[in-house]
Amino acid sequence: MITLKVIVVVAVAAAVLSTAFAVASQSFVDFLATAQDAELRKNTIGGHTAGYGLHETSGDVLDPASSSSNTASDEVAIDPDTYLRSFNYGRVSNLTNGSTVREFTLVADDRQTMEISPGVFYNVWTFNGTIPGPTLRATEGDLIRINFINNGTKPHSIHTHGIHKAGMDGVFETINPHGRFVYEFYAEAFGVFPYHCHVTPLEEHISRGLYGVYIVDPKTPRPEADEMVMIMNGFDTDFDTENNFYSVNTIPYYYMHHPIEIEEGKLVRVYLVNMLEFDQINNFHLHGNLYQLYRSGTSMAPDEYTDMVTMSQGERAILEFNYKYPGQYMFHAHKTEFAEKGWMGLFVVKDPTQTGGSDGSDSSSTRLLETKTISGDVGT
Amino acid sequence: MEKDEIHRRSTSSSSSSSSSLQPRWFASAKMVAIALVPLAVLAAMIAFIFGPGQQFLGTGTPLPEISIERIEFQEGGRIIAYIRNTGPIDVTVAQADVNDRILPAAIEPSKELPRLVEAKVIIPFPWNEGEPYEIGVTSSDGTRFSKGVNAAAPAATPDIEQAAFFGLIGTYVGIIPVLAGLLWLPFIKRLSLQKYRFFLSLTAGLLVFLGIDALVEGSEIAAESVAGVFNGQILIVLVAILSFLVLMYASTKLGQRSKGRTATTAEEEEEEEEKVDKLSAYDDSIHASQAKKTLDQQQQQQQQHHLVVVKPVAMALMISIGIGLHNFGEGLAIGASVVLGEIALSTFLIVGFMIHNTTEGLAIVSPLAKTKVRRMIGKIIIMGLIAGIPTIIGTWIGGFVYSPVAAIIFLSIGAGAIFQVVFLIYQGMAKEETERGGKIMSDASIIAGFAAGMLIMYVTGLMI
Repeated sequence: MITLKVIVVVAVAAAVLSTAFAVASQSFVDFLATAQDAELRKNTIGGHTAGYGLHETSGDVLDPASSSSNTASDEVAIDPDTYLRSFNYGRVSNLTNGSTVREFTLVADDRQTMEISPGVFYNVWTFNGTIPGPTLRATEGDLIRINFINNGTKPHSIHTHGIHKAGMDGVFETINPHGRFVYEFYAEAFGVFPYHCHVTPLEEHISRGLYGVYIVDPKTPRPEADEMVMIMNGFDTDFDTENNFYSVNTIPYYYMHHPIEIEEGKLVRVYLVNMLEFDQINNFHLHGNLYQLYRSGTSMAPDEYTDMVTMSQGERAILEFNYKYPGQYMFHAHKTEFAEKGWMGLFVVKDPTQTGGSDGSDSSSTRLLETKTISGDVGT
Repeated sequence: MEKDEIHRRSTSSSSSSSSSLQPRWFASAKMVAIALVPLAVLAAMIAFIFGPGQQFLGTGTPLPEISIERIEFQEGGRIIAYIRNTGPIDVTVAQADVNDRILPAAIEPSKELPRLVEAKVIIPFPWNEGEPYEIGVTSSDGTRFSKGVNAAAPAATPDIEQAAFFGLIGTYVGIIPVLAGLLWLPFIKRLSLQKYRFFLSLTAGLLVFLGIDALVEGSEIAAESVAGVFNGQILIVLVAILSFLVLMYASTKLGQRSKGRTATTAEEEEEEEEKVDKLSAYDDSIHASQAKKTLDQQQQQQQQHHLVVVKPVAMALMISIGIGLHNFGEGLAIGASVVLGEIALSTFLIVGFMIHNTTEGLAIVSPLAKTKVRRMIGKIIIMGLIAGIPTIIGTWIGGFVYSPVAAIIFLSIGAGAIFQVVFLIYQGMAKEETERGGKIMSDASIIAGFAAGMLIMYVTGLMI
């Protein structure tokens, strides 16, 4: 009888304790707390897109195109502002014959989950921890040396477009996890090229983010300009071989709420590369202007004077333009589907003779201009 | 447990064992404790699995799942999607879209969705009436969940005008046809027994069709709009069976009470109950012993009397309740379809529903063929209204506060009710048949009636 009582008491005690433990470990308390969140918030959506009406909400705002709700986390796959004008010239040394050696280090990884669109986290595969990888830049004739380290869990490689020996092509010598390889080749010809991983399944290795831009300057440099890199890309986050997001420089809509500042009348040079997977056609349309188009950047003479260039995957070009009038101008894919899934941005053209608020740098007037620009564009 | 205690007390009074000193509450507490032992073991096991056992058992990747349960198109350019986290893990909603184009949206109360919690996504969007739309939400892991609408229609706002509109549809589709169908009563009354049985069986056929229709309809809603986590299809079968059993129980009780009440008013209640018990004993065993026979014959006379006066009315009432539930489901479907823009309410459609539902009036009056009607006209009209009015209530609920889970529950209740009525009809006919020494399945008019009933429903159903 006593034994039975002891068993009963122990069992009841165990039940109470273990239930408490289970509740604590599953944090049902948190669950209840979120349900009773009484903090009153008032947010507004729809204001920046003209004609859509305003809606005031006590809840959360889902708006990747507006800066107010776009609180990028620490794990964001790239800082598009920094990336835009960053050029990596490598560690420079000289060979005995006098030619320049540029040494780069690229580390591949495939284990991180990063934010690739506001609020969306995705297992990205990266060179040096960002998508796109760093922009490599050299002058025609330089010796390029890329120290490649595979820090991931799958084989990777670097395939650079351009002229080089078969063994430096990054196709047959895939580098296994923890492996290293040194790619060495001369920078020829001048132009703008992509580099990317060439391990199969190619679709996966590219669409996950293993790519970057490689620029070879001609020996006689191009004219002085405000230079920037734009890589057109996208992400298929639900694995249906269709992109959920499109952009330049990874983050959808980024340059909508962080417009790119340029100077009125000053030459702008965009190194544009299309690395978009899954879709055959991507393009770049500029508002309020036309640009000189240098296909592949392999000639000093422009191919076309236009505001539209259409590219397949791996194609690239150099775009040169300057703005006649100050204000905000949109640039985006003229495949509207891509535009409406994030591939749109803004240039803010500033009059260098005027400083301060009158040219649109004031935040409130910027927003007004932005509104006008979007409403004008949605109709196109 | 009480018996146990009594037993214990009796033993304790005779003997002087140690347990005799324990108070009564201790014994009850012990019983409760013993009942809790398996639960305690289970709780300990669960705690182990969530705690230290997690590393052994945490295999596989739980995938998020969001169900879009309802989409509303509001005047003034606004789309509302009611979404629910129906997956095994908490989710965060990152973005929303219309036709796969990302748009600014608000989500209330929060973009963080714990399991089974609902949220409202508000997308300002200048939608066009009558055009198809697909609304999507993307979770923080990049998975997009979407739901399509065939034709956008402005959401019904619960104002007088809209309610009156739904009321009008409900009246045309539910009340008028059912009441018109009731006018078949004089026709039914003039039929010979054989033809009457044909029509009674036809009623059963009509009802079986309606029951199957309700189950199929419910199943479709379950497949389209109810998340897997609610096990919609199992719910349908479960509710239908439960509704069948509950109504079976209720109708038996109802039958017994009404029998008792009309038998002889002078008799005491207890006696009545006794009689009822005897009656049911008779029902159960046809091959009763000779000794009982004389008493039984007395009862049988009474029973025949009930069959004529009360039971048909009860059956008609139950048929009208069953049809009422079915029409409630039909009303839900109509109301929801208007809101979801899935049907264009054409006059043709309303005419189809009218023809379809007129047969329901026939179903109600069929059992009343041998009843004196003169005093019951009011009752019959009430039964018609019981069958018809739920259509209006259904359109209101379906139009204003549509919930797919509620819809399938009502449809299943209706299906269970209908099958129960069919069961009663055939039970009645089978009893008659057995009394005459025949078998129900050998009666051609019954089989033909049943087939005709289902076919009529199928053919009139083509118009909808």
